[in-house]
Amino acid sequence: MGLEFITRIIRTTAVFALIVALYLTMYYSGKVALGFLIGVAWSLTNLYFIKGMVTELITPNETRKDVAVVLGFIKFPVLYVGGYLIVASGYFSIYSLLAGFSLIFPIALLKVLGRVILRMDVFGFEKKHAEGAH
Amino acid sequence: MDYKFALALSLPLAIGLAAIGSGFGLGRAVGQAMEAIGRQPEAAAKIQVAMIIGSAFIEALTIYALVAFFILMGKIG
Repeated sequence: MGLEFITRIIRTTAVFALIVALYLTMYYSGKVALGFLIGVAWSLTNLYFIKGMVTELITPNETRKDVAVVLGFIKFPVLYVGGYLIVASGYFSIYSLLAGFSLIFPIALLKVLGRVILRMDVFGFEKKHAEGAH
Repeated sequence: MDYKFALALSLPLAIGLAAIGSGFGLGRAVGQAMEAIGRQPEAAAKIQVAMIIGSAFIEALTIYALVAFFILMGKIG
């Protein structure tokens, strides 16, 4: 399992967030659901930029520093200031934003846990290990 | 000492500690990942996945501290 595992986490979180947002709209309010979705979107964008920066900078191949700088510039000032403005505006409930932001973590944990329980190779280390043993 | 004074004193310290912990954790994670990739370049993609998930988790803790900071700042008035 390579970098597509991150893409799958992002996709699963987005789909699950849409389903949860429907329930929130039904049982709480549209504002709570929107806050939740904004929290999820922020979190997914953040993970996407982390993925980009890690794959561009921490690699055995040649690094593309210009791409990494652009990603870093978008992530740190733009994304973080955007997050600050969303929190500081006070329009959305802080708890809905935090719930949305946190959604990706249980999903990532459950996906990894599912692979461990099903005895699937989580990050592709076991196969390598077994090959090395023989 | 009223609670507002206590909050004003402890909030910057708390956010500073959170930033130090997060920076230390991320620094260690990146350092170890670089070392691991240097030792096994063919395992780079797998190390990157673990690194990305780990970074997201470490960063989230600081963001929680930051949000708690903003919430409590509102209570100082």
